[in-house]
Amino acid sequence: MSFSDAEWQAIGLSVRVAVACMVITLPLALWVGYKMARSRFRGKAVVESLLHLPLVMPPVTTGYLLLLALGARSPLGQWLESAFGLRLAFSFHAAVIASAVVSFPLVVRSVRTAMEMVDTRLEDASRLLGAGNLKTFFRITVPLAMPGILSGAILGFARSLGEFGATITFAGNIAGETQTLPLAIYALMQVPGGEEATLRLVLVSVGISLAAMLLSEWYIKKLRHDRG
Amino acid sequence: MTEVDIRLERDRFTLAIKEVFAGGITGIYGPSGSGKTSLLQAVAGLEKPQAGHIGVNGRVLFNSARKICLAPRERRIGYVFQEGRLFPHMTVAQNLKYGLPYQGKPLVAYDEIIDLLGLEGLLHRKPQGISGGEKQRTALGRALLSAPDMLLLDEPFAAVDQGMRRQIIPLILKVQQRVNIPLWVVSHNLEDLLKLTSRLCLIRDGHCIGHNHYVELLRQAEAMTLLGDEPVGNSMQMEVAWPTETGSLIELQWPGKSQQPHLKCQVEGTPPAPGSRVRVVIRASDIALSQNRLDGVSIQNQIPGKVLALLGNGDRPLCLVDTGVPLAVEITGPALRQLGLEPGKAVWCLIKSVAVQVIG
Repeated sequence: MSFSDAEWQAIGLSVRVAVACMVITLPLALWVGYKMARSRFRGKAVVESLLHLPLVMPPVTTGYLLLLALGARSPLGQWLESAFGLRLAFSFHAAVIASAVVSFPLVVRSVRTAMEMVDTRLEDASRLLGAGNLKTFFRITVPLAMPGILSGAILGFARSLGEFGATITFAGNIAGETQTLPLAIYALMQVPGGEEATLRLVLVSVGISLAAMLLSEWYIKKLRHDRG
Repeated sequence: MTEVDIRLERDRFTLAIKEVFAGGITGIYGPSGSGKTSLLQAVAGLEKPQAGHIGVNGRVLFNSARKICLAPRERRIGYVFQEGRLFPHMTVAQNLKYGLPYQGKPLVAYDEIIDLLGLEGLLHRKPQGISGGEKQRTALGRALLSAPDMLLLDEPFAAVDQGMRRQIIPLILKVQQRVNIPLWVVSHNLEDLLKLTSRLCLIRDGHCIGHNHYVELLRQAEAMTLLGDEPVGNSMQMEVAWPTETGSLIELQWPGKSQQPHLKCQVEGTPPAPGSRVRVVIRASDIALSQNRLDGVSIQNQIPGKVLALLGNGDRPLCLVDTGVPLAVEITGPALRQLGLEPGKAVWCLIKSVAVQVIG
């Protein structure tokens, strides 16, 4: 199976977008997931609904809202351009942002459930041993929630690999810049005689997703084994 | 010294304790649900009282009037939980080192703790692979290495079997002697507590109904409502006078009372070194009274004293005898009448050497 330059571009771009998306969402999801699992505050239900909104909204809607908020004609977009010369919409950044927004709820959900399963009495024990909140978080909560955090990350990674609606709306379908695998597949389907190339990319897409799943399964098994 | 004066209300339960605790080992005794653990958690900072004051050696941990409430990590309280609460993803060694202070010296060096608690062979094991007693020992070591000002042990014997208890109780005594910080042990097992200390704080329905030496508590009617159903034991700290030639038979004396007759007793294994302090428990039912010193009996210990008081009800009277230290002796009603026991009467306490339990 040999790929054309354009196909390689789409594959590379997809992986780059998904990795960048995880780098952004995972730390944020750890923090938000922890807060949601441990804190009680007013309006928690509202925050929860807002967090889950991108999960239930049509991705195209999410993309359109992003365009409204961050597009060149929005106040925020204008400020970004005048202050940093940054045009977010229809760029690589936009593809990452669209993926991140759509996959974030999935990651948070997984992280939160995993952290809720961590025995808070162990966190108490840690604090009684003189550990601060940060040490308790990174040495007790996160390691014990690791299997759930990992499956959340994989879920988010896979979701961002498959992102279509929000990306095409907010980032467009620019080859080499925002045309990720699903967009490339869709584009190829429109071209007569592109069936073979379409199939190739579909197989690649399945392969990457499968590899990510297997890797996480293996790692979770290893974690469990290490803990006896 | 630990000062506690708190009021903690929760649901339909109120914990109201106002006590000053001395150093050494204090046993916190009471039925389950009486508020023993809540008291510990309030001192540790896991529960916040509505009002009051908590101070350890003059350091204020909590004071509602001055709006002081230190976080658990700032309190320097070593807490050993019933289930140990070891971190499951770390080895025993990693658990032990978790609380090591970044600066300053630990109370006891790491290597010494491993030695003291016999943890050498466990260091690379995970908590899942070790026994209940080993978990407790690790948890105790972990708490000690965090350089606490005070140690709280919450039902340390609940999760370990009888054989393990026999190992852990002397260890707790050894640890306390070594670090000499206030140590509270919560338990609903009086017999176990008396092997550690004679000083008890009795808690029922969120209130302290007696805080004194056990023998003194026996004289308090309210305390007896809690202690009355349990077998009575004498718990004393004694000093090893010298080991006798016969090896396993050793002689003990009351600290600072060398002119008092020695107590002979049997020990298993290597006898403790002369001069060392040991805790000794003698069941009240293992002591007999006699009007005269007896000749020609196998009983090794005959200690003279005077009757201090007669306690208890008809079917199980208790006689307190002053032998230099007060001893509780269980006698029967007929014996009481036969001997004509009354306060001030001179008697001899007869104790078999095998009835003297040397804890460690």
